[in-house]
Amino acid sequence: MTLAQALFMGLLQGATELFPVSSLGHAVLIPSLLHWSFKQSDPSFVPFLVLLHLGTAGALLVVYRTQWVEIIKGFFTAAVRGRIEKPSERLAMLLLVGTIPAGILGVFLEHQLKSLFASPKAAAIFLIVNGLLMLGFEALRRRAEARVAPAAKTRVEQEESFASAEQISFKAAALVGACQALALLPGISRSGVTIGGGLLAGLRHQEAARFSFLLATPIIAAAGVLEIPQLLSSTVPLAEYVAAAVLAGVAAYLSARFLLRYFRSGRLDPYGWYCAAAGAISLALLTFRP
Amino acid sequence: MRGNSLAVGFVVLAVVFVLLAGLYYEGVLQIFVSDPHAKHHTTHAILFSVLAIASLIAANFARSKRTA
Repeated sequence: MTLAQALFMGLLQGATELFPVSSLGHAVLIPSLLHWSFKQSDPSFVPFLVLLHLGTAGALLVVYRTQWVEIIKGFFTAAVRGRIEKPSERLAMLLLVGTIPAGILGVFLEHQLKSLFASPKAAAIFLIVNGLLMLGFEALRRRAEARVAPAAKTRVEQEESFASAEQISFKAAALVGACQALALLPGISRSGVTIGGGLLAGLRHQEAARFSFLLATPIIAAAGVLEIPQLLSSTVPLAEYVAAAVLAGVAAYLSARFLLRYFRSGRLDPYGWYCAAAGAISLALLTFRP
Repeated sequence: MRGNSLAVGFVVLAVVFVLLAGLYYEGVLQIFVSDPHAKHHTTHAILFSVLAIASLIAANFARSKRTA
């Protein structure tokens, strides 16, 4: 992989990890469409992905640095006390409950799913499915809005009728967490399915995005940290990879800032249409192009 | 009474998870692993250790409900 390719992949990973458009899907599809010779399934590619994920997780930690301090304090306080008294303690326990199903499914199924579906065509098909899921989540949300906030005149008023992340039920947190496991399929977006799951659980769009990003941080960071020993291999071009990881972190930081503003009144629809179109075009190119 | 038995149940679950963590770490258990020839399955061991801690936290919550 050249330096330019590494930097491009860093930018792509950082931006698409948080946008509901599937980073894995894009990382499988784009090199294939550009006829780049390296493959995601190649073992030498793992350290590169590890650093990119650490860059993204680092960006999320920076975005939510004050909240994470509160969440960690709240976690230990509530765990020792055996009772939840503050919103930050409840959020900490919700994140624990949400992370468990994703962790179990990720550890047990990652290898099987990735080896089954790691082809560019499968990624294109799952990208279309991801688009349809986003559109489906929003269609269900519009029904809920008509029921919950029929008199609301603006989108902001509509959103105010829904809950914040701390108010979600533990069952809903577990379900949203389990949705993360779908992101093991290349083309299905982790943030997309968790934001969609949050919307179904009655969260405001912005709160669903916040819960999704908070939920993603431990999983992305743990996946990266566990693979750190692979970085110590002498064959790894560490300087190139670190540069790409920094770029991924900057892109993820800017993406998170943009999305949190966007979801004050924005919806998942544009990303749904984008995924359906990008998936369909990619599938056509992969099928008919020599 | 219900909280008490629930707390005991979670503690038992924590013990089971610790055992599973040990078995995966030692490479005795090979279910759903990416490399069956690996000496240690560290990721699986860490997962079950986290589950054991989560079970103990749940036990503490169940116990506190009983005493409250």
